[in-house]
Amino acid sequence: MIGTTFMVLVMMFLSTSVFLWTLSQNTTYNEAVRARNQEDADRYNENVVALSGNYSVNEVTDEVTVNVVLKNVGSVTVQVINLWVLDSVNRGYTNKSLNLNMKSGDVLNLVGSSWLKVTILGAKENHTFTSWFVTARGNTIPLEKELGVIIAQLAQGIGSISMTFATFRYYELPGNPPANPPPLGTDIGSPKYNFTMPSNKWIVFGVELTNLDESREDITLYEKSCIWLLSPPDSAGAIKGDTWYITRVVGNKLSSFTPQVLKYGSRTMVYFGVCYGKSIANSITAVNILLFGKRGSTDYGQNLPFVAMNVN
Amino acid sequence: MKLKGIECLEMDLRKIWKLLRERRAVSTVVSSVILTGAVIAVSFVVLFWAQYRSSAYNEQYSEAMNADIARLKERLAFEYVFYNQSGSRLSVYLMNCGTIDNVTIQTVYFKDATGALIQVYSNITLKQFNGDEIADKDLDRGEEGYFMLSLPSSFVSGTCSVRIVTGRGSTFDHTFVA
Repeated sequence: MIGTTFMVLVMMFLSTSVFLWTLSQNTTYNEAVRARNQEDADRYNENVVALSGNYSVNEVTDEVTVNVVLKNVGSVTVQVINLWVLDSVNRGYTNKSLNLNMKSGDVLNLVGSSWLKVTILGAKENHTFTSWFVTARGNTIPLEKELGVIIAQLAQGIGSISMTFATFRYYELPGNPPANPPPLGTDIGSPKYNFTMPSNKWIVFGVELTNLDESREDITLYEKSCIWLLSPPDSAGAIKGDTWYITRVVGNKLSSFTPQVLKYGSRTMVYFGVCYGKSIANSITAVNILLFGKRGSTDYGQNLPFVAMNVN
Repeated sequence: MKLKGIECLEMDLRKIWKLLRERRAVSTVVSSVILTGAVIAVSFVVLFWAQYRSSAYNEQYSEAMNADIARLKERLAFEYVFYNQSGSRLSVYLMNCGTIDNVTIQTVYFKDATGALIQVYSNITLKQFNGDEIADKDLDRGEEGYFMLSLPSSFVSGTCSVRIVTGRGSTFDHTFVA
């Protein structure tokens, strides 16, 4: 009787302890599974988009700068830890460690940032680049670069050079035309973002041009390039116009002209002048930007006729 | 003197013979004590044996459970896989984005575009992104590293794949164009 009782107690003690211990082990495992599921859920909820992607290349130093706007459109905080850039033409690639923390809804404008500057030997402006970011959770964020291509495709209907309408400006220089044309070295002053200009002042126009050529070659503008302001026929049927030839402005001062290179994908401010509206006074005019030069080694010509100017 | 010793021996034998020929039982108290003692002794033996067996089971179960949990925590992200056609070399860039340290690469399987297993690599050298060898030969949490494989000269190119098996037994697959 005593032995039986003792045995039963021993068996109960052992089986209970083993059962409870197994239960605790299973709980630990379930906890690990739950944590893993949470990590997976966080990873799936990570959603960062890289917009307005573009590349600028310094061919002298082989530096490639990735211009991008990162936007966290997901519901979790994201840490971006790495940037990868691949030059598809020469098959070169590199990566750069980052530490960018983005809360949900954050937007990081990294256009021109030195953080995203990497070195790829032999990188050229006309090469095709691919890049992506890596997050701490192991997701990759590809750079969406297609906007530039879309603009370039649009530009194929009108030409390879696009103009930024919003930055069209002119400068009034000192002196009273037709006497005293401003010499080289004259400061051109502050820009005027206006579509009405005086006819009795020396004028320099500033136009921001972007080379979006499909072949990604540089375009060089020669001295024949000009802005031609053209008025509608007057009562006698005469069409009048004045011409501002391409010039150089260095350090906001007039400089002697040398061929102007438009690098693929980057905006370049191009200046035209000095001239005044001697024939187009008191008239609305069509502003024709006539561009002539070389694309790579072949001739290139384009007319951008989008601005109208009222000349007093 | 010798005679006296023989007499003692004879007397002992007689006593034993008498005891064996005894018809009366031992007392109830004595028998109960003997029985109880025997039962308790056997019980303790069984208890210790059962304890030993359950401990062994616990240990085995615990090891299996811990291994499973460690495997669950392992995660490797493929940052980039680059195939250098001229040197027929494959560079695999990884990051430990899991929640456990000491992730080692045990085996790497390379399959070509047809899905056929082309080569198995078991001696993997992990390097940091700057090219230095990783001293502890593993990836801790958040650590990045890469290894290079020499691919065979002939395989069907296209969308190929690599499978990484870690020291804890987790597998991670990635496809790339070669």
